[in-house]
Amino acid sequence: MKIKNQILFIILLLNLAESAAQISSDNTRNEQSLERKLTIEPAIGIKPWPISDLLVSNLVQWNFKKHLSLVSHTSYSYNNAFLRDFNYIKTNYNYSLSQKLGIGASVYSKHSSHTFSLIAGIKYDAFKETMNNPEFEIFSASSSGVSPDMGIMYNLKIGAKKYFFSYRMYLPLTPYPIQTSDIYSIDTNLANFTLEFGIGIRLK
Amino acid sequence: MKNLVSLLLILSLASCNKEEFNLSLTKELSINSTFAGANFIIKIGLPENYDPGSQKYSSIYVLDGEENFDYVAEKCKQISGDLSKSNVLVISIGYGNDRSQDYTPTVTNAGGGGAESFMLFIKNELIPQIESNFAADTSRKSRVILGHSFGGLLATYAFTNYNDLFGNYIILSPSLWYDNEIMFRLEEDFRNNNKQNHQLVFMGLGQLENQGRMLVPFQAFYQRFQNHYPDIMLKQNIVSHMDHSGSKKPNIKEGLTFYFLNK
Repeated sequence: MKIKNQILFIILLLNLAESAAQISSDNTRNEQSLERKLTIEPAIGIKPWPISDLLVSNLVQWNFKKHLSLVSHTSYSYNNAFLRDFNYIKTNYNYSLSQKLGIGASVYSKHSSHTFSLIAGIKYDAFKETMNNPEFEIFSASSSGVSPDMGIMYNLKIGAKKYFFSYRMYLPLTPYPIQTSDIYSIDTNLANFTLEFGIGIRLK
Repeated sequence: MKNLVSLLLILSLASCNKEEFNLSLTKELSINSTFAGANFIIKIGLPENYDPGSQKYSSIYVLDGEENFDYVAEKCKQISGDLSKSNVLVISIGYGNDRSQDYTPTVTNAGGGGAESFMLFIKNELIPQIESNFAADTSRKSRVILGHSFGGLLATYAFTNYNDLFGNYIILSPSLWYDNEIMFRLEEDFRNNNKQNHQLVFMGLGQLENQGRMLVPFQAFYQRFQNHYPDIMLKQNIVSHMDHSGSKKPNIKEGLTFYFLNK
């Protein structure tokens, strides 16, 4: 079952790339002005489920063909930002680091470009909590670990000049359905779903 | 269009492994509880070759039964077979009142504090019906309670306040943060009585349950089991890469395996 899911994941990747390559340009002049060889796009963002994780990230995109690109996405997430003290449970630290690489397919409209990327990499999570209820013993516990992180990223770029607006949405495909077919594990996917906004810089 | 089809294929194939317990081995009854003030649908999963005339069976009482019964019953069948152990009766407790009412020990913004009434329903209405209508072993050591999240909180409440009822506890991602960690106070209040009893306790959690309320009370309570209960078989499992809901099924499997190994 897992092997079938992974094969279909690759089929989806190829379909996306092929579709993007087949899209004919009705507005070649616009595409040429919107086409960027190399961009760097820092951003800030949130994880909406729950609305308590804040993040900073950076996307580097290299368009080696007009409609195809390689992308690198790096992020740092400050987790549980608004519930650091709950019922005598204090969060000492709670953060995630992520690095993903992937392939993207871009389509162009009049003033913007839309890039759909399949990206994969790893995520490191670390947190520590202390229970400091005056009735009981003080107790601390910590956890850390590396997880696979794969999914689909949508990136909208608006503007044709050197600086442009960049928006991205990341939809994780791990653990469901890539690692497990248990639909209950989708809460882990949702906890890693992100929305990001920033300014992009055209380098080439 | 091609991409949409690919995506739908992924999702449909991924969902094709839904377990459903054998209907011919499932009995159902309804209990209108005067203690809990609600009607409960109870499902009983029977072992294959169930023979009430020749033996008595241990029983696993499953909270959030409507969600968990099929998976627990299938895993009991599989694990008992793999370990060459006698299978058990799987008792699914459906919802009566809302679970935030039935599974919580005190009244707060998060729950209605109906755990005491719910446990009285289990003790005085459910267990007597099961043990009179089915070939259930009536000893404490033959009863298991299994719960996740608020269900884990209720299973912990069963340990502290009704320890004479169950000898085995599968406590998964328990909400031990509830009401400023009130379960720690209850554990202290009843410890002197409970530490005389033999216990089997399995606790499970997801590695990514990092919302600032799950990990530290989990580990603190586990340490209390380690430090204060001399006659306990104790194990914990942290499921890698999984959050609250995603860790449930792997921990059910681990918990049942631990129980059957030591049964």
